Amino acid sequence: MSTPEASTTKKVQVRRYKPEENPKEHYLNAEKGVWAWMTTIDHKKIGLLYLGSITFFFFVGGMLALLLRTELLTPAQSFIDADVYNQVFTLHGAIMIFFFLVPSVPAALGNFILPLQLGAKDVAFPRLNLASFYIYTIGTIFTLIAIFTGGIDTGWTFYTPYSTQTGTNVLLMTFGIFILGFSSILTGVNFIVTIHKLRAPGLTWNKLPLNVWALYATSIIQVLATPVLAITLLLLVMERALGIGVFDPSIGGDPVLFQHFFWFYSHPAVYIMIVPGFGVISEVISTFSRKVIFGYWAIALSSLAIAFIGFLVWGHHMFVAGQSSLASMVFSFLTFLVGIPTGIKIFNWLATMYKGSIDMKAPMLYAMVFLFLFTIGGFTGIMLGSLAVDIHLHDTYYVVAHFHYVMMGGMVMALLAGLHYWWPKMFGKMYSEFFARISCVIIFIGFNLAFLPQFVMGSQGMPRRYFNYIDQYQAFHQLSTIGAYIMAVGFVIMAGYMIHSLLRGKPASANPWGSRAMEWQTSSPAPHHNFEHIPVIINGPYDYHKPMSEFQLGIAHSTNGHQSFEKVDVNVKSAEEKA
Amino acid sequence: MSETSAETKHPAHLHHHFVDSDQQFESSKMGMWIFLVTEILFFGGLFAAYIVYRAWYPELYLEASQELDAFWGAINTFVLIGSSLTVAMAIRSAQLNQIRGLIINLWITIGLACTFMVIKYFEYAEKLEKGIAPGIYYTYDGLEHEKANIFFSIYYMMTGLHGLHVIIGIGLMLWLVWKAKRGAYHSEYYTPVEITGLYWHLVDVIWIFLFPLLYLID
Amino acid sequence: MSGHHISSAKFLWGVAIVLFFLTFLTVAVTWIHIPEPWNVVVAIAIAVVKATIVVAFFMNLWWDSRFNTILLVMSIVFFMILIGITLLDTLFRVDPIPTF
Repeated sequence: MSTPEASTTKKVQVRRYKPEENPKEHYLNAEKGVWAWMTTIDHKKIGLLYLGSITFFFFVGGMLALLLRTELLTPAQSFIDADVYNQVFTLHGAIMIFFFLVPSVPAALGNFILPLQLGAKDVAFPRLNLASFYIYTIGTIFTLIAIFTGGIDTGWTFYTPYSTQTGTNVLLMTFGIFILGFSSILTGVNFIVTIHKLRAPGLTWNKLPLNVWALYATSIIQVLATPVLAITLLLLVMERALGIGVFDPSIGGDPVLFQHFFWFYSHPAVYIMIVPGFGVISEVISTFSRKVIFGYWAIALSSLAIAFIGFLVWGHHMFVAGQSSLASMVFSFLTFLVGIPTGIKIFNWLATMYKGSIDMKAPMLYAMVFLFLFTIGGFTGIMLGSLAVDIHLHDTYYVVAHFHYVMMGGMVMALLAGLHYWWPKMFGKMYSEFFARISCVIIFIGFNLAFLPQFVMGSQGMPRRYFNYIDQYQAFHQLSTIGAYIMAVGFVIMAGYMIHSLLRGKPASANPWGSRAMEWQTSSPAPHHNFEHIPVIINGPYDYHKPMSEFQLGIAHSTNGHQSFEKVDVNVKSAEEKA
Repeated sequence: MSETSAETKHPAHLHHHFVDSDQQFESSKMGMWIFLVTEILFFGGLFAAYIVYRAWYPELYLEASQELDAFWGAINTFVLIGSSLTVAMAIRSAQLNQIRGLIINLWITIGLACTFMVIKYFEYAEKLEKGIAPGIYYTYDGLEHEKANIFFSIYYMMTGLHGLHVIIGIGLMLWLVWKAKRGAYHSEYYTPVEITGLYWHLVDVIWIFLFPLLYLID
Repeated sequence: MSGHHISSAKFLWGVAIVLFFLTFLTVAVTWIHIPEPWNVVVAIAIAVVKATIVVAFFMNLWWDSRFNTILLVMSIVFFMILIGITLLDTLFRVDPIPTF
C-alpha cells in the first residue's frame, strides 16, 4: 500500500532511544486548562475523557443495579413499585450497554493505547475523534432528558409493539442512542484507517500487537453493524411519530422483523463489547508470563472469525419469538460455531502461561478472573444456544446470569485488567498493589455470589424482569443481593486506591512491568506526541527472548511535526534490515 | 510512494501526524470508503424491510407502485446521473488545477441537485394532496390492498432518507464552493472535493436502485 | 497504486452516456411486460450494471487501492447476510404472512 515503510525493502539507520524516566513534560501538562481539555485533539486525552464518562455511567448503572437487588430482597414489594422497577432495570441495561460497555474498551482504552501501540503520533482523524466524543455527549444528554421526562420501561431492547405503545419517553431515548451510534461508527472508521495507514516503520501485519488485532476486528463490527441499529431505531422513532406500520402489528406490521433488525446489530454488539477485552487479555497474559504469546495468528485471526460469525447468529435471541423453525435451526447451528474461535483463544492463553514466569500482579489477577468467569459465561451460552434447552431457559434468570458472566465477568474484568495494566502509562503513577489484589478478590467473590445463584433459580423457572416472586426463590435472591453488595465494596476500595494513586501515588517508571510492547518504550506518562522519535520495529511485540535494547530503536524526526525542523545527528548504532 | 519519503518541505494542508500528502490523501479516502460502507448498510436496513414486505405482498407492490409516476422518476434519475458526471468533472478540474472549472462544475451539480429536490417536492405534494401520507395519516382510498399504507411508509422512508442525503450533499458542495473561492484547493490538495464526490456518487447509486424498485414494478 | 487517476473529459462523458442509455433501457423494458419473476431480475440486473459503472469509473475504484474495493464488497456481503437470513425466517414461517 502507500505507506512508505511498506513499499520496498530499504535500509534505515536506527539508534536506541531509552525512554526518559519521570519526564517533566508530558501529554497531561502539555496544554493546561479546562478549555484545552475540552478542545483537545490528542487521542490520549480523548481516551481519558471517555474513561471519565464511562466511569460515571458505570457508577450510575451500578447504583441502579443495587437498587434492583435491594428491591428483590423480599418476595413482595419492599420499597419501589412495579412501574419504577421496570424503568430502573431498563435504565440499568441501556446505560450499561450503550453508555458503558460499548465505548469502554474501544473508545476509552483503545483511543489511549492504539496509536501508542502503532508508534503513531495520533489517530488518523484527530478532529473526528474529538467530534465522536461530543456526539457521544450529545447522545447522553438526549438520554438523560428522556430519563427525566417520563423515563422508559421497555427493557434495553425496545421490543415492538410495546415500545410503540408505552406512555414512557421511548422517542427521546432511542434518538439519543441513534446519535450515540454515530460516535461508535466514527471511532470504528478512525481505528481502521489508523491501523492501515499509520503503522510505524517495520510494524508489519505479523508484528501487530494482538490488542490492535482485536480493536481492528471490533472496528469492523462497529462499522458494519451500527448503521443497521441506526436505521432500526429511526424506523422505531417513525413508528411512534407517524405510525408507519412496519413493526407495529396493530397497523399491519411485523414485530419479529424489528427483532431481526435489532439483533443484527445487538448480537454483534456483544462482540463489540467482548472482542477488545480479548485483546487486553492477550497483552496482559503475555506480559505477566514473560513469554512469547502462543499461537499469535490463531488469536489474531480468531478475533476476525468471531467478528464474522457474530453476524450470523442473531436469531438465537428469537427462538421463542415466532420465527420460522428453519431459521431457528440454522441459527442454533451457527451459534455453536462461535464457540470454536473463542475456545481457540482460551487454549492459546493457557498455553502461553504454561511454563511461563507468571507474575500475579493485579492486571494478571484480573486476567485470571476473566478466564474463569468468561469460560462459565461462554459455556452457558452454548447451552442456551441449543434449541430445546433454550425453550425452557428463555427469559429466566439463567439468561441473566449467563450474560452477566460474559459482560461483567468477561468484559468488565478485561477492562479492569487493562485499566490496571495501562494505569502507569496513563498517569505516570503506581497504585497500591496490595489493595488492588484485595479488591480483585472481593469483586470475584461478590460476583460469583451474585450470579451463581441466578443460574440455579433460572433453571428452576424464575423469570427475569419481575419485581416480585414466589417464596421458593427467596434464599437465592438474598444470596444474590448480598453478592451485589460485596461487589460494590470491592469497587469502592478500587475507587479509593485509584484516587489515592492519582493524588499521591508513587511515580511509575517508563516500563514497570518489563513489557516488550511498544507503548512501554516511551516515557510514563507519554509525551505529547507519543514518541520523541520515530520508532522502528524489528521484533514482534511478545519476543521476550530478545533483549530490551532491540525494542527501543528509532530514527530521529527530521521532517514535519510541531517540534521538528531541527537536525538531529543520528548516532548510528546498528543498521537493521527489515522486510 | 517513493518520491516523497525524504522531502523536507511541509505543505500547509499536511497534518503533523502524517508523513506526507499521499498518506494523508489515501487515509482520507479510505476513511470515506469505510463511511460509505456504513451508508450502504444504513440504507440496507430499509432495503431489507422493502424486500421482506415485497416477498410477503407482491401484489401490493404491483398495485401501489402505479401511483408513482415513472416519468418523473426517470427524469430524476437522469438529473442525478448528470450531477454525478459534473462532480466527476469537478474533481478532474481540481486535479488539473483549474479552479474556475471546479467552481463552475460544483455550481452545476448544486443546480441539478436542487432540480432533483424540486421534482421530488412536486411528487410528494401531489401524493399528500391525494391523502397518500405516511403511516397513520394515510387516507387515500384509491387502492384496495389493506396494507397499502405500508408500501407508502417504506416509500417515504426510502426516498425521504435519500432526499436528506441529497440536501446534505448540497450543503457540502456549497461549502466546497466557498472554500474553493478562497483558494483552498489546488492540484496538490483537493481531498475534500474527492471525498465529497465519493459521497455524492453513492447517493446517485442508491437512487439507481430506488428508481426501478419503487417506480418500475410492472 | 494511483490515488490520483485523472480521467479525460471525453471518457467521463462516455460513461455518463452509457448510464443515460441504461436508464432509458430500464424504463423501456417495462413497456414490454416481462413475466413476473424476470421483470425484477432484469430491473435489478440493469441497476447493478449501472451502479458498477458509477463505482468503477466515477468513483475511480477501478484504479484505486484494492482495499477500498474489498470494503465495498464487504458491505454488500453483509447486506446479503442481513437480508438472506431474515428471509430464512419470513419466508418459512408456518403462517408466512402475519395475519394480525
